[in-house]
Amino acid sequence: MISSLSRVRNGSRALRFLLVAVGLALGSVEGAQAGDLPALFKERVKSVVAVEFFTETELDRRPTVTAALVADAKGTLVLPPNVINPQIPPDKLKDFRVYLPGRPVSEYSSGEYLGQDPVSGWHFVRVGETLRAALSPVTTFGLRAAMNEPALGEEFWGIGLRGKDEDFTPYFLANRISHVQSLPERTAIALGEVAAPGLPVFDRAGAFAGVAIGGFGQTFVQYSHKDRGLPVMLLNMEESAVFQLAADVASWLERVPADVSGRPISWLGAYGLEPMDPEVAAFLKLGDQSGSVVSEVLEGSPAEAAGLQPRDIILAVDGQPLPRFKPDRVVVTHLERQLGYRQPGEDVALTVLRGTERVEIKARLADQPRLLREADRTYFDKLGFTAREFVYGDGVVRRVKMADHQGVIAHFVKQSGPAGTAGLRPDDWIREVDGVEVKTYAEAVEKLAAIESNALRSEFVLLTSRNGETAVLRVKLR
Amino acid sequence: MKPATVKESPTPSITRTFTLLAVVFFAACVTAEAAVSRGFTHLLDAVVRIDVRDESFEAGARRFTAGIGSGVIISADGLILTNAHVAGPRSVELSVTLASLERVNATLVGWDHWTDLALLRIDLAEAKRRGLTFTHAKFGDSDALFPGQTVYAVGTPHGLTRTVTRGIISNNRRYFADTRGVKGYETGLFNTWLQTDAAINPGNSGGPLVDEKGRVVGINSRGYLGADNLAFAIPANIAQRVVADLKGDGEIVRSYIGIVPGALLDLEGFYSLKQNTGLLINSVDPGSPAARAGLRGGDIVMAINGEPVDGRFPEQLPPILNIVASLPVGATVDLVVKRNDQTLNPALVTEKLESRQGEEWAFEKWGLTVRKVSRAYARENQLRDDIGLLVIGVQPGFPAAVAGIDRGDIITKINHESIVSLEAAKALHAAFVENPAPTLVEAERNRRVSLYIFKP
Repeated sequence: MISSLSRVRNGSRALRFLLVAVGLALGSVEGAQAGDLPALFKERVKSVVAVEFFTETELDRRPTVTAALVADAKGTLVLPPNVINPQIPPDKLKDFRVYLPGRPVSEYSSGEYLGQDPVSGWHFVRVGETLRAALSPVTTFGLRAAMNEPALGEEFWGIGLRGKDEDFTPYFLANRISHVQSLPERTAIALGEVAAPGLPVFDRAGAFAGVAIGGFGQTFVQYSHKDRGLPVMLLNMEESAVFQLAADVASWLERVPADVSGRPISWLGAYGLEPMDPEVAAFLKLGDQSGSVVSEVLEGSPAEAAGLQPRDIILAVDGQPLPRFKPDRVVVTHLERQLGYRQPGEDVALTVLRGTERVEIKARLADQPRLLREADRTYFDKLGFTAREFVYGDGVVRRVKMADHQGVIAHFVKQSGPAGTAGLRPDDWIREVDGVEVKTYAEAVEKLAAIESNALRSEFVLLTSRNGETAVLRVKLR
Repeated sequence: MKPATVKESPTPSITRTFTLLAVVFFAACVTAEAAVSRGFTHLLDAVVRIDVRDESFEAGARRFTAGIGSGVIISADGLILTNAHVAGPRSVELSVTLASLERVNATLVGWDHWTDLALLRIDLAEAKRRGLTFTHAKFGDSDALFPGQTVYAVGTPHGLTRTVTRGIISNNRRYFADTRGVKGYETGLFNTWLQTDAAINPGNSGGPLVDEKGRVVGINSRGYLGADNLAFAIPANIAQRVVADLKGDGEIVRSYIGIVPGALLDLEGFYSLKQNTGLLINSVDPGSPAARAGLRGGDIVMAINGEPVDGRFPEQLPPILNIVASLPVGATVDLVVKRNDQTLNPALVTEKLESRQGEEWAFEKWGLTVRKVSRAYARENQLRDDIGLLVIGVQPGFPAAVAGIDRGDIITKINHESIVSLEAAKALHAAFVENPAPTLVEAERNRRVSLYIFKP
């Protein structure tokens, strides 16, 4: 249903593109003056590219194609946050290819993955020098200033890209702004699609006005011979009607990670931040401000060291009360930004409500503990699973004290492989191999490698833990 | 549920074969009937239909559901044995239909979901006043049953009163445990079951499984839906012990040490054990006596209180677990445990066995139904502790639903007061009924804590 619908929509898109092409042919090509959309379009197409890359897993290699914008003159490209699964280690992302819109896809240039910025979530890629001359950074077109916030009803436009089979041909999109809100970045929502997610949005004068973001769906009611009014949410993966204003996010273009790990990543260790709704604020006599409940305080974290406690309600950062947002949950992102913009080692002062008492807390942020995507891992083909290092986050999920952070995690289990047949499942925690505790990742890998390389072994035994329950699994190799 | 009509035979030759077979069966039946008639008549008079009205707390309000089951009268003073999933603490109305087709009220004496048994008593005063009489059944020895032995199930399948079906004992020591088999409560951990191919359908539950002389050898409990005649009954010898306990104080107290066993099957070689020795510990409940004694998964229990144990096959596990369960709470259990080359001798002190299923309640002014978080539930779901009430239903438009509380949330605090018991919440709800005022509620959903206001 969804796919056929999108085909129809793309069909109309193609038609619109044809009209634009005719306009271009007739119009002037000399200068891109304000309001001369065909000329502006032609220039600004140089600030967008298509990027393809491959994600390697134990058994296959999956391609991903996305649109990207050109951030600077050094060939830095920005890819939207959701194109890469955060659990994938950067070294499994291979073979980045950059395509110029509308050029034959055989002419691609290779690119290098630079990592993900922890605040914006943007991924950065650098394209080879040969292609740089053909690109124009979005910032060269002038930045739409914060004071000049889009007026409701004002028209904005952007670029969409057709599929790879159509050489990523660029097409024109335009729509009027319906409203603007803080999420917490100032975000404009248009009446219809304005650009592909991750691509820039421009005003009529051609100034860089924002970056389109994905993930905003629309709810429809579906009627068919089976469904009598079933609410469904439709999400256009190729185009977006929502964009973050350039005034708020243009500075993110400079947040190119120092290395592929994306570090440093500042860390407080307050887990499960939840928004406080206005009813609760009124009950607690907090007036028109907002707050965020801390569900848990993580062991060994700066929050713990500073004396933050579970169920504390954070009311202010550095004396600045948390503002109210609509919807309420935006306050959590706002708070995360406040922390994210700081470097590890910097201090943050928090005002919290504990029961009925206000408490001041000063925490020194640290660098985030080793992330899942940074964990070491080894795939044992004959055993049929990948052993992954136990990292801090594994302990959080399993509510395990740091002293017990040992063993390895079954990261991937091959279906109907020996381990899978014995009952091992992804995310199972392996505590013992052949009846002996495996304390470290190195210990586990050594034992498993010995089993794998021993052609005489017919079976081995794992002690695994899942949801707090252990089980003895007997893995038959022959 | 209409009986299927019998089709005409397609060919004359098949008809002839059928006729022949029918004659043989008929002849066989005549002799069998003669043998069972006396005991059977007596037994049939002791089987009752039980109509139950239960309260339920599903959708944010106290509601009632009706059901039908079977039972068997087992004493002259009107004790009826049935299933725990037919009648239990939530039954608000129990009505028994005697063989004479007279209906009489009954009350719950006690229940034991672990063995899926409940004991009721006929309202004797009412029976006497109305001059009602009944007979009671006799027990047979379920340990003497053998696979292939003919048995009969008597009960009320689909409301068809006093239906007799016939089958054989398919297996006399079947193992299955179900963590939420009896209305969400655990069952089958401490007993094996009789398996029979006598047809058992919904409504047969609680009725007796009897031998040819009409002696009760089991209480029919469950069958595989969609399978052909795979049904299970609680052995009479276990039922008799349960009855003796329930008659006393209405409940059976069992002991707990927190060991979850696994069948050893052919792992003896790996653990270098002699054939037919040892009980494999698959898991140890966090915080349990076994965990405090340092036991862990992969350990092998060789002996309990000096008695060697053998847990090679699944059906050997319930009797072993029952050894521990039968000890008094607070008793010391001496274990011999093998871990690799070591032998450990931990002494554990038993705790009272508790169900994962906590007590349920409806806070009607809030439009909220809850279940107390039990220790076992907290453990299974890796909660920090057993504080709080699990939301099992909200009524749309009522304060809880309006505030944003949903099924699956765990309410941990109300007006800053920690909800350690159902009683604590009942008191706060009573205060709300008395003097409706905005109430601050703290609840967890997937480990995330949020605050809500219940507004009158």
